[in-house]
Amino acid sequence: MSENTIISTNNLNLWYHEKRALESVSLKIPKNRVTSLIGPSGCGKSTLLRCFNRLNDLIDHVRITGEIRLDDKNIHAAGTDVVTLRKKVGMVFQKPNPFPKSVYENVAYGPRVHGVKDKGELDTIVEQSLRHAALWDEVKERLNDSALGLSGGQQQRLCIARTLAVEPEVILMDEPCSALDPIATAKIENLIDLLKQDYTVIIVTHNMQQAARVSDFTGFMYLGKLIECGKTVQIFEHPNEELTENYITGRFG
Amino acid sequence: MAEKFHTELQNLRQDTLGMAHLGRDMLRSAVDALIRQDPTLAESVILRKGEIHDMEVNLEEHCYHLIALYQPMAKDMRFIACTLKVINASLRIGRYGKVIAKIVKEISDKPHIANLMSIPHMADLVIDMVDDAIAAYESDNLTLTEGFSARDDAVDALRHSIFREGITYMMEDPKNISRCTHYIMVARYLERCADHACKIAENVHYMETGERIEIK
Repeated sequence: MSENTIISTNNLNLWYHEKRALESVSLKIPKNRVTSLIGPSGCGKSTLLRCFNRLNDLIDHVRITGEIRLDDKNIHAAGTDVVTLRKKVGMVFQKPNPFPKSVYENVAYGPRVHGVKDKGELDTIVEQSLRHAALWDEVKERLNDSALGLSGGQQQRLCIARTLAVEPEVILMDEPCSALDPIATAKIENLIDLLKQDYTVIIVTHNMQQAARVSDFTGFMYLGKLIECGKTVQIFEHPNEELTENYITGRFG
Repeated sequence: MAEKFHTELQNLRQDTLGMAHLGRDMLRSAVDALIRQDPTLAESVILRKGEIHDMEVNLEEHCYHLIALYQPMAKDMRFIACTLKVINASLRIGRYGKVIAKIVKEISDKPHIANLMSIPHMADLVIDMVDDAIAAYESDNLTLTEGFSARDDAVDALRHSIFREGITYMMEDPKNISRCTHYIMVARYLERCADHACKIAENVHYMETGERIEIK
């Protein structure tokens, strides 16, 4: 990958207790591109994703060796502010998880935590974030309604808007469509395509067709190792590794 | 589900081989009919036109169904892409057989000029190429098509030689013009069949390796 790199890992290893979940992963994530991670269940793709904003720090008995760099700075360096890191590297989870608050408050929550108090500024951030998440037109008349009253697809886009509100550089998505119907999935996929103009997106998905549709680059993981990473077209048309070939053609997994 | 899909792919390969052999047999029979001046055999080739067309439609539909239902990837996708090309090439080869068979019906009333020149030899070379291309598709064996570039050159050279020889006979006697024109056309059709064999070989190579090559 000769593109500008925003995140890179070098010989990254991760253990949960004695179990090694990532093994010598060296990867470069290009800026303003969508990179998807595919692989069978338990291959370490979500674990790798959660390394990028140090979410694994919240789990007991996790040990990490190797290096992860964001904007060429080691994210494990002493003095790294994890809150700032997670502001830069936002995350959207498998199941939409809006706060039990209004649509407006969901989006305004992050900026408030980061010190934005001015109502006019918050209004602007909320509108822009909802527009960016392709949700504004659907919710602009019901900003004060509970977010829990939105459909599943709308809730997921609200979660994306919530992530966008703190102006991240990278958005991590862990199976963002697996709880959604095909129409809601299509909207999220369209949104991912738009988001890459301003953000870098890394998506974990079980759905290979989705990886093929939305991503510019694809990494295939197996048993904690990154087997192959390259342009999505190359991975799905003629992968270099037989293991990748066998997985994406359904011969195992 | 993956197992069902791969069984479907195997069935598709077998059915496509059936069509490829039909196209090849139409060409072989047409050339035999030409050599033996056998209008009955030629007529039997012409009658198979509908059969090969039906096969083309059914096999293409099978490919499209597999794409729509299973969204194939990597080698599976390349196999279906290659199969679509094999279907097309087989139809063209069969149709050239039919066209040659029609010529046979027109020129079986008088003996051949110069014993058909090099047409029988050229036909043998071309049909050998078609056989090897089909066998490569059947067995994923790329060694069968390794020498295709040189073999195609030999076929092209024969077509050129038949053309020049035909012109010579035409100049010798205008009564030969009609018959020699047919010979030149047959040589041209055979050369196109060799090109289709090359196309199959290129696509089998892509199917196997993911790399594009051009057989010149």
